[in-house]
Amino acid sequence: MARIALVIGALAAILYPIPLQLQGTTYYQTVGFLVLVNAMLGLGWNVIGGWAGQFDFGPQVFFGIGAYTAALLYVKLGVDAWLGLLGGVVVAAVICAVLTYPLTRLRGHYFAISTVAIWMIVQPIGATWEYIGAAQGLFIPVKTHNTILGAALSLQFSGPTKALGYYYAALVLFAVTLALMAWVERSKLGFYFRAIRDDQEAAEGIGIDSRLYKVIARSITAAVFAAAGVLYAFWALSVFPEQVFELNWSTLPIMATVVGGIGRLWGPVLGAAILIPISQIMSTMLGTGPLAGRGIDLIVYGLIIIVIAAFRPTGLLSLPWARWFRRERAVVA
Amino acid sequence: MAALLRLESSTKSFGGLLANREVSLTIETGEIVGLIGPNGAGKTTLFNCITGYMHPDTGRIVFDGHDITHTRPERICHAGVARTWQVVRAFGRMTALENIVCGALQRTNRIAEARARARDLLQFTGMQGRGDMPAATLTLADKKRLEIARALATRPKLLLLDEAMSGLTPTETTAAVKLVRRIHEEMGVSICVVEHVMEVVMPLSHRVVVLDYGVKIADGAPDVVVRDEQVIRAYLGERRAHR
Amino acid sequence: MTELAQAVVNGLQMGFLYALVAVGLTIIWGLMEMINFAHGEFLMLGMFGAWWLSASFRLDPLLAIVPIALVMYVFGVLVYRHLMRRVQGGDPFTQIFATIGLLFLLQNAVVAGFTSDYRFVNDTLLQRLGGARLNVLGLTFAVPLLLAAGLALLLFLILYMLIERTEFGLALQATSEDRDAARLVGIRPQRMFAVAWGVGAALVAIAGAILVNFFSVYPQVGLQFTVLAYAIVALGGFGSILGTLFAALLVGVIQSVTVVYLPPAFKDAFVFASYLLIGLFRPQGLFGRF
Repeated sequence: MARIALVIGALAAILYPIPLQLQGTTYYQTVGFLVLVNAMLGLGWNVIGGWAGQFDFGPQVFFGIGAYTAALLYVKLGVDAWLGLLGGVVVAAVICAVLTYPLTRLRGHYFAISTVAIWMIVQPIGATWEYIGAAQGLFIPVKTHNTILGAALSLQFSGPTKALGYYYAALVLFAVTLALMAWVERSKLGFYFRAIRDDQEAAEGIGIDSRLYKVIARSITAAVFAAAGVLYAFWALSVFPEQVFELNWSTLPIMATVVGGIGRLWGPVLGAAILIPISQIMSTMLGTGPLAGRGIDLIVYGLIIIVIAAFRPTGLLSLPWARWFRRERAVVA
Repeated sequence: MAALLRLESSTKSFGGLLANREVSLTIETGEIVGLIGPNGAGKTTLFNCITGYMHPDTGRIVFDGHDITHTRPERICHAGVARTWQVVRAFGRMTALENIVCGALQRTNRIAEARARARDLLQFTGMQGRGDMPAATLTLADKKRLEIARALATRPKLLLLDEAMSGLTPTETTAAVKLVRRIHEEMGVSICVVEHVMEVVMPLSHRVVVLDYGVKIADGAPDVVVRDEQVIRAYLGERRAHR
Repeated sequence: MTELAQAVVNGLQMGFLYALVAVGLTIIWGLMEMINFAHGEFLMLGMFGAWWLSASFRLDPLLAIVPIALVMYVFGVLVYRHLMRRVQGGDPFTQIFATIGLLFLLQNAVVAGFTSDYRFVNDTLLQRLGGARLNVLGLTFAVPLLLAAGLALLLFLILYMLIERTEFGLALQATSEDRDAARLVGIRPQRMFAVAWGVGAALVAIAGAILVNFFSVYPQVGLQFTVLAYAIVALGGFGSILGTLFAALLVGVIQSVTVVYLPPAFKDAFVFASYLLIGLFRPQGLFGRF
C-alpha cells in the first residue's frame, strides 16, 4: 500500500508542472518549488527537532551560510553551483558542529534560546561585513545557457523554462534529502537520536554520548538547510542578510512538520504540501484586490493553524489512515 | 584477585545534606551483592556516583582496574557497567524491540546484528511477542523487564538493579528473582541489587551491604547481617535492638 | 567615562521597563512551562489600546493602564481556556505552533483594522514632562523615563509580593512544581493556569501602555520584544522573578553600553552573546532552579 502511494506520489510530483508549462503559466511551478524547498527544510529540521527532540529555532543561520558560501564561491572564484552546494554544505556543517558542541551543556529551553542567540549574533555580522556585501549582499549575475543540460549543471535557468527548471532542481534535491533522511532514520544515528529525545539520561546509561549525537543531529540539519540555501540563492540570484537569515525559513518548516506529524519521516512533506498552497491561495484570494494589504489572508492562515493545533495536536499523519485504507505493519516512528 | 568494583571512601553531599559518608565497599567478579538500608540512606546516590551521573566529592571509584571517579555515564557503560532505574525509564515512544536495539548498538554498529541480539534478549526476559508494542503502553512489570533487557544488551560485566522489584505483585516478584538468578548464572554478570523487600534480597545475595544515613554499617553474609544490632536498630528502632 | 556612566544609568531605567515586559513571560513560561510566541503581540495590543484610548478619548496612557489591564486579563484567560488548554498536554512544539498561529492572527487582525502605519501618542502626561531633567552626581536623568521606570518597578514589586507572599501566589508555585500534589490540597490547576495567563497578558499589556510614551506603535512591534523577553527570562533563570528583574536590568545596560561603541544593529547581538557566555558557566541561568 505504502509502495503504491509512493510511486503515485513520485509520478505526480514529476509530471505535475508539465501541463501547466504547456499552458504557459509558471505560477504553480513556483508554488511547487516553494513546497519542495519547505518540505526539504522540514525534513532537515525533523532530525534535530523531531528525532533528537531538541528545540532548535536557529537553523535559518545555516540556510544563510550555505547561500552566502555558494554565492561567494561563484562570484569571487567562479565555482559552479553544484560544487558550491558541496562547499556550502561542508562549511555550514563544520560551523554548526563547532558552535553547537559547547551549547550542548544547555538543556531544553535554555538550549532553545541559545540557538536563537546565534541567529541574533549572526544577523548584524552579515549586515555589516563588507567582504560579503554588508546589507546589500551579493548579486549572482544571470548567465544564459544554450542547452538545458548546461543550465541544469550550473543551476542557472532562464527564459520561459526558468520556473520549470528550478522546480525539477528542487525536486532532485528534495528526493536526495528524503532518501538520506530515510537512511538516517533506520540507522544507528536514528535510534540514538530518538533515545536522546525520549530520555537523555537513560540514553547515557546505555552508552550514548548525548552531546556528540546532538551535535551530529544538528549538523545534519545544518547541512540540509545549507543545501536549500544554495538552491534558493541561485533561484533568487541574490543573497542578502535580511532575506536569507529570515526567521520564516525555520518557522515555516517547523509548522509544516508539526502539522504533518513531528518525528515522522513524511510529516514535513505532508505539512508543506498543505500549508504552502493554503497560504498561496489565501494570499491570492484575500490578499489582493479590495482587501489587499489588510493581512486578511494571514488572519485566516493563523486561524487554520490554531484550529489544527487545537484539534489534532499530534499532527495529521497520526490520523488513522491505516484504518481507513488497510492495516499496515508498524513502521519505525 | 582485584575486585571488579571498588569504592574507596566515597563521600557525596548536597548542600547541607550528607548523602554518602566515606563509603567503602567492593564487589567481586561473580558476586550478587545486596545493598539495603532505610529510605534516604543514600543507596541511589551511591548508584549515581558509580554510574557517573554524579561524582563523589572525595574518594575514589575503581572499576575493572580503571578509575571511573570522574567519568561520564556513557563511558562507564562502555567500560562494562549497566543500570536500571528506581523509577522505570524506558524510551516510551519506541517499541520494546527498539529500546533493546539501542542498548545493543553499544557493542555493534550493524543494525541487523543489534536486532538479532534484541530479539534474543526479548526471549530471555520472557517478553517474546511484545516486541512491537510501544514501550509506554507496557505494564510496569514488562517495563522493568525491558529495562533489564536493554541494560543486558550492552554486555555489562556489572549490572546495577535499583529497586527492580518495587511495585510488582508477588507472582511478578518471583519471576523477577528467577530472572536475576538466570542472568547471574547464564551470562556471568556480577550484580548489585538495591532492594527493600527482605524476602527477596536475603536469599538472592551472596553478600549484603547496609547503609544508614549515608554510612555503611554492615557488610557480610546475609544471615550475619540480619542479626547485626546496628542493622536492626536502623530498621526497627531502639527498642527492638535489644531483643 | 561619564558617557559610559550615563549609558549605564539609561540602561538601568530601560531595564526596569524590560522587567515589566518580561515578568509576564516568567509566569507563563518560567512557572507554567507553556511557550507563548505571541507574548509580544499582547504587548502590541496594550500599546494599540493605549494609543486608541488616547486618540479617541484623550485618555492618558497612564490612566489607560487600568482598563487595558482588565481587558487583557480577560483576554489572556480566554486564550488559555479556548486554545492553550487543548495543547497543554501534548508536544511542546504544538504549543509553539498554536501560539505562532495566534501571532499571525493578532498581528494581522490589527493590520486589518488599523493598517501597518506607524502611530504615536501625543501630549501625554509623561511627554509633557519631557523637558525636565534631574542632575545627580553629574549624571542626567530624564524625568519621564525615570518616572516610567519607577512605575514599572512598583508594579513589578507588587507582582513579586503577589507570587511570593500571598496564598494565591503560593498556590501558583505549587501548581507549577507538582500539579497532582496541588490538586490533592484543593488547588484547581486549570484555574491557576487560566489566572496565570490572565496575569501574564495583563502585565505585558501594561508594559505596552507605558512604553507607548516612548516608542511608536505599529502592528509588527511585538516580535523584537518577544525575543528579548525570552532571553531575559532564560538569563535570569526559570521561574525566578527576582532573576527576571536582575536579568532585565543587565540586558538594558548591555544594550545601552553597546550602542555607545558599536552600530545600533549590534545591541541585541551583544545581549545574546552575553547570554551564551553566562550560559556556558551557569547553564541554569543566573538564579535558576536547576
